Amino acid sequence: MNQDQSATSRSELQEEALSHIDALYRTAYRMTGNAMDAEDLVQETYLRAFRSLHQFRPGTNLRAWLFKILTNAFINDYRKRSRRPRSTSLDNVEDYYLYSHLIDSGIQPASSRPEDEVLANIPDEAVIAALDSLPDEFRQVVLLADVEGFSYREIADIMSTPVGTVMSRLHRARRRLQSAILQAYTAAPCSVGSDGDACDARLR
Amino acid sequence: MLDCDEVMERLYQFLDRELSEAELAEVRAHLDACPPCRDRFTFEQNVLRRVGTCCRQLSAPPSLVEKVRRMCDQ
Ligand SMILES: [Zn+2]
Repeated sequence: MNQDQSATSRSELQEEALSHIDALYRTAYRMTGNAMDAEDLVQETYLRAFRSLHQFRPGTNLRAWLFKILTNAFINDYRKRSRRPRSTSLDNVEDYYLYSHLIDSGIQPASSRPEDEVLANIPDEAVIAALDSLPDEFRQVVLLADVEGFSYREIADIMSTPVGTVMSRLHRARRRLQSAILQAYTAAPCSVGSDGDACDARLR
Repeated sequence: MLDCDEVMERLYQFLDRELSEAELAEVRAHLDACPPCRDRFTFEQNVLRRVGTCCRQLSAPPSLVEKVRRMCDQ
């Protein structure tokens, strides 16, 4: 390979890497919890990526490769010096499905699918707050799967865990997320199912 | 044919497109015949989609994009 060719592919790779900056930033933001740390983490990710760009094998997944670098930077670098209190309590919180709860609470059906109305009435902020309340590993697996659309295999590679671990973690994380969404929702003055009549207005 | 519990066990793999063609067909056959499971799957899918759309509203600040662009080879 001559000099020009490798220079071209290198700048092309950098250009392609740059196209993923929004995805890396929003993930970094949810992982660190603030804009300043997110910016640092993204810069660190690109610094490491550009430094080891020669190790990247063309034809493989550049996006997943960048997320793996971000993850390692977060774990090895950021989290060690972070003063942000980590939520690590994986137990002692009841996991349940939002759906079951809504169905069991006997909501007066305002339509044929009342649970969809409940979901539509939950503000974005409550969804985000619920996600932020998850332990790091749970939050990250949800971000990679549900926000970035990575496959189980890609997530396993990014997080350096077996696929089976990704699946069980994702399963638990999503259930935890649903109970957190419901908690955020019911923290509002009117709670789901506790007093059907009083809640009707919210549920419609 | 799969029963409701067996279909529920495959809920996330189905929504994540991680089932084989054969397994996919089995789950689809059950969902076509079972409205409660279909409602349940639709709801779960809506929750996951909602999480995705909420988080994707955020994008990198222009100043950060500019900083990273300057890190690229000229
Ligand atoms: Zn069924």
